[in-house]
Amino acid sequence: MFVAAALLAWLGASLIVLSDGRRGLALGLAVLTVGFAVLTWPSGAVLGASAVAAGGAIASVQCWRSGPATWGIMPAGSTPRVVLCVGSGVLALWVAASVTTGPGAPLRFAVLVVLGLMGVRVLAGRETAVLLAAIACLALALAVAPGVAAASAGPVPDIAGGLVAAGVVVLRPAGRAKADKLGG
Amino acid sequence: MGAELLLAAAVTLGLAVFVAPPRVARRGLFTRGLVGLAGMAAMLAAPSLDLVLLILLGMIVLQAGSAVPVAGPVPRRDFATRLRAPILAIALLALGLAFERVQGPTVLERFGVVGIVAGLVAAVGLLPYVHEFDPDESVIASPIPWIAFVGPLLAVTVLSRARQVIPAEASDAFGAMLIGLGLVNMLWGSVASWRTAGDAAAWRYSFMADWGLVLCGFGLAIADGQAAALILLVSIVLGRLPLYLLSREAIREKHPTDRPINLVVAALLAGSAPFAGFPARVLLLRGATQLYWPLALVLAVGMLLWLPAALRLGRSMGMPRGRQAVGAAIVLAVNIVLGLYPQPFLALAGL
Repeated sequence: MFVAAALLAWLGASLIVLSDGRRGLALGLAVLTVGFAVLTWPSGAVLGASAVAAGGAIASVQCWRSGPATWGIMPAGSTPRVVLCVGSGVLALWVAASVTTGPGAPLRFAVLVVLGLMGVRVLAGRETAVLLAAIACLALALAVAPGVAAASAGPVPDIAGGLVAAGVVVLRPAGRAKADKLGG
Repeated sequence: MGAELLLAAAVTLGLAVFVAPPRVARRGLFTRGLVGLAGMAAMLAAPSLDLVLLILLGMIVLQAGSAVPVAGPVPRRDFATRLRAPILAIALLALGLAFERVQGPTVLERFGVVGIVAGLVAAVGLLPYVHEFDPDESVIASPIPWIAFVGPLLAVTVLSRARQVIPAEASDAFGAMLIGLGLVNMLWGSVASWRTAGDAAAWRYSFMADWGLVLCGFGLAIADGQAAALILLVSIVLGRLPLYLLSREAIREKHPTDRPINLVVAALLAGSAPFAGFPARVLLLRGATQLYWPLALVLAVGMLLWLPAALRLGRSMGMPRGRQAVGAAIVLAVNIVLGLYPQPFLALAGL
C-alpha cells in the first residue's frame, strides 16, 4: 500500500509540473494529497493523516475553483518537463531504495521527489495558480518529511503543513500601486 | 540567542515606525512588522526544523502576496520573482535535512550539509543566491529590510536546529563551508558596496558583507566565533537596518552630505570602536587565530575593505532632521552601549 501511495505522490507532483490549467493542477494536488495522507499514517496516526488530507483537499478544491477552467496538461513544448518528471523519479527511487537503508523507503522516495519537483516548479513557473499549487504541495511534503527519521514524529508537523497548504491557495497577490504609499 | 534577536527586532520595528517619513503608511508598516515578529516568535518556539520551515513558508507567501509591486509598465519583481529565491531556500533546507535523517553512506551526510548551508545562504540572499531587488521598491516589499529583520533569528534557529541533526563527522565540513561562503560574501559585499553605481545597491551589498562575517563566526564553532556572530547579528538588526531605513529618504532625493554625523555613522558601519561591530571583529579575529592563524589574516584584510564602503554609505544618509535625527541618535547610543559592554548581553544569550 505504501509503495502505491509513494507512486501516487510522484504522479501528483508530476501532474503539477506538467499542468498549466487549474483543473490539471487541482487533480495533481488531489492525487498527491491521497499519497501523502497514506504515507503519514505510521508517524502521524489518524490525526496527522486527517490533517494532511484536509489541508490538501481544501487546497485542491480552491485550486479547482479559481482561474480559467482548463486542464492544460502537457501543453506544447512539455518535453523537458516530462524528462524532468521521469528523471527525478528514477533518481529519487535509486536514492530511496538503493543508496539509503532502513525501513520507510516509500516515504523517502515521495519526500525527495516532491521536494525536488516542487522546487523546480516554483523556480520555472510564472502563473500565480501554478506557484500556489506548487507551494501547497511543498508544504505537504514538509509536513510528512519528519516521518523519514522517526516513526513517532507526531501529528504537529502534519497539522501545520495542512494549515499552510490550505492557507496559501486562498491568497491573491496584491495588484500594482504607487510605492510611496507603502513604506517609502 | 533567539530571544535576544527577537527583542532586538521588536525594538527596530518600533524605531522604523517612529522614524518613517510622513508619506509612509505607518499603520501598514507596523501591522506587517507585527506579523513578521509573530512569525519569528513561532519559529523560536518551534521544536523542530521542519516546523520552522513551514512557518517560514507561510511568512514568505504572505509577504510576497501582500507586497505591492512598483507602478510601471513592467514590474521588476512580480509575485513569481519574489517567491523564487526563498522557496529555493526552503527546498534546499528540506532536502538537506532529509539527507541528514536517512540511514546510508557518509557521502549522503555531506550532501545534507551542502543542502543546509546552501539553503541558509539562499534564505538570507547571499552569494551564490543573491535575491533580485528593485531600488524603487517600498520597505514593505523590498527583500533587503525583510532579510535584515527576520534573517538573523532565522539563521540562529536553523543553525542551532541543524547542529542537532548533523553528525559529528560532518560538522567539520559544515564549519568549513560556512567559513568559505562567509569569506566570499564578505569580500564580494565590501568591494561591491564600495564600487557599485547606486547607493541603494551599495547598502544591499553592505548587508552581504556583514552576513559574510556572521557565517565565518558560526563556522568557527568555538565560543569566540559564536559570540562574534551574535553581536554582528544584533548590530545588523539594531545598527545597519535602522540606518538603512533612515538613509532611504536621502537616497531617493540624492542628497549625500559630508557632516560629522555622516562620519560617525560611517564609523559605526565600518565596525570601528566604540561601536558594536568592534568587539565582534576582535572576537572573530581571536577565534580565527586560535583555530588557524592565516584565516585571521584574511579576515583582517577583508575588514579593512569595509572602510571605503562605510564612508560612502555614511554620506548617503544625508542630514537627518526631526524624528530621523532622534532615531539616528538612538541607534548610535544603542550601538555604543553594545560596543562598550557586550558581556552582559552575551551572558544573557548564554555565551
